[in-house]
Amino acid sequence: MNELVLTLGWLGIYAPMALGAASSAIGCAIAGQASIGAMTETEGGYGRFIGVSAFPSTMVIYGIVIMFTLNRDVTPENAGGLFGIGILSGIALMYCGIWQGRACAAAINATKEKPEIFGLSLAPAAIIEGFGVFAFVFALVISAGIS
Amino acid sequence: MSDPDAYIALISSLPGSERLFVAKQPPISRLRLDRRLRALTPEDVKVLQVLEHALNWGDYDMDVTDVQAIERCKAALGDIPQPTLQKLFLERMDLRTAVAALRLRKQGGSSPAGTFGMGRWVRHIPANWSDPTFKLESSMPWLKEAHQLLEAEDPLGLERLLLSVSHKQLKRHAARHLFDFEAVAIYVLIWNIFDRWAQSNAQDAATRFEKLAQQAMADVADIDFEGAYA
Repeated sequence: MNELVLTLGWLGIYAPMALGAASSAIGCAIAGQASIGAMTETEGGYGRFIGVSAFPSTMVIYGIVIMFTLNRDVTPENAGGLFGIGILSGIALMYCGIWQGRACAAAINATKEKPEIFGLSLAPAAIIEGFGVFAFVFALVISAGIS
Repeated sequence: MSDPDAYIALISSLPGSERLFVAKQPPISRLRLDRRLRALTPEDVKVLQVLEHALNWGDYDMDVTDVQAIERCKAALGDIPQPTLQKLFLERMDLRTAVAALRLRKQGGSSPAGTFGMGRWVRHIPANWSDPTFKLESSMPWLKEAHQLLEAEDPLGLERLLLSVSHKQLKRHAARHLFDFEAVAIYVLIWNIFDRWAQSNAQDAATRFEKLAQQAMADVADIDFEGAYA
């Protein structure tokens, strides 16, 4: 039984990093495809498209920081806490990354027609980033209570 | 439901629609559009072909009967797996059925006993034949205007109204689909509407030019208008 609990603890430590990396990969791929498509139709502003498509990469950074914060000796007493915080923050980051990628793709698609809305079109992606930051910050706060 | 991220690059590479009735031509040529549509999977290409083939009037022979046209549309509906595309296809059929009924009545026809359309109003329309809008004003608010335009014998105005209604229907569905196959199909159908309007403008302009030329040259009897419309 203890082995299973310890395994869950290790899973919790690595989950934010793994799920964050997966979400950044998917999000960047979604937004990247949109920027490639937009580049075939526009005459300039390519750098902006590529910059926007890199937005979801922040999720993996948050995941790495949470992983280092959770990283400690796993015992039967702290394994449950590590698992809960790690998995749930990882899932939150994953959703944020994927949907941020979609929001960025929509922004790129809209910006290619109306460059003047570039800043405003990024608002949904920025709001999603805010939710990712919530998941990140409160994972750090809660992890302080784990022995 | 299609993969929501299936055609991100394709959709992003398509120019946005111009304003209908303002733009003189579609935002992209058919040649370029077809080149972009090479990114579709073979299954999606087939669905798009079925959809376009059933909805484009140009794909129908001049002597096609009502029954043949309806059979073709029913067969097409069976080949379209996406619920959104089925829904917009049926909406277009409802529109065509209502307009067909208006035209039938305008020609002096009595309430049709046989097949004359397709969709949910096929029985409702003959039952309300004497009503100017077949008591469909709440479902089809544009029907009143269509009836008036038909009575006023304004075919261009009617065409404009019908294209506008179809365009709005497609735009409403487009709002729920960003980067999936449905979004691509809706884009192509909107492109067809722009193309149809551009063509009707060109034909209208050619006819008008020919009439004006005939008027201006009325006194010069021996000039032959080569290639003029009959």
